[in-house]
Amino acid sequence: MPSITPLLAFYYFALASVLSGLLAVTRKSPVHSMLWVLSLFMHMAGIFVLLSAEFLAAVQVIVYAGAILIFYLFVVMLLDLPDEESRPRYGKHWPFAALGGIAFSVLALSGGVGQKASAATGVTAQPDLGSVASLGRELFGPYALPFEIASVLLLAAIIGAVVLARRRGATP
Amino acid sequence: MYGLSAILFGIGVFGFLARRNIILMFVSVEIMLNAVNLSLIGFSRHLGDSRGQVLALFVIAVAAAEAGIGLGLVIALNRNKPGAGVADLTTLRW
Repeated sequence: MPSITPLLAFYYFALASVLSGLLAVTRKSPVHSMLWVLSLFMHMAGIFVLLSAEFLAAVQVIVYAGAILIFYLFVVMLLDLPDEESRPRYGKHWPFAALGGIAFSVLALSGGVGQKASAATGVTAQPDLGSVASLGRELFGPYALPFEIASVLLLAAIIGAVVLARRRGATP
Repeated sequence: MYGLSAILFGIGVFGFLARRNIILMFVSVEIMLNAVNLSLIGFSRHLGDSRGQVLALFVIAVAAAEAGIGLGLVIALNRNKPGAGVADLTTLRW
């Protein structure tokens, strides 16, 4: 009989990430929203560990929480929005937006109704599914070309960001 | 698992459509990308195949690129017109 602990952990992580997500899109202050998104990403990393994706959990914490989110926080602080909390959070169309979000969730959920096997408990995975070794073999074996293309994409993004954010007339 | 992914994606859709702050719209996009990553990893585990995790890694790389470009745009826009409300951005050039 499998241990009940992974299931409990999964429900905790799932509940916490849904709550964090809801709080993130509803808080007034952008900084508070960012911190809730940080909590969401950390809990998602926990779920990744439960799904035997240890390397991706580490990438999630380092790249998402550590780099991307801090980047967003820097921009929030750089823009310096003192009156942000007094401005309306949502456009006037927000009920339609909520309807759209709920409709999408229901659609996606109804697509998965047929399958009852929960990946959190059930299937026996290979022990090295998410290890650095197996992912590295995939990345540098059959997926070497997409991997290189991803690095070119990141290079293009770096150059693009520098060009966009550069002051006009500044000496390069 | 897929239910959680769907719910998180719905939250992201709502945040993207409803928020007026352009940065928070970007963050909602990140929430959606993360929900997709979750379902990719769930499928990968379900099928015992690590290709889903490779794809999730590429999604993370693309998300990083998107964040860099998007926030560069936000900074450039902010230089011309202070504030981060999307409703203020009505002209194509000024």
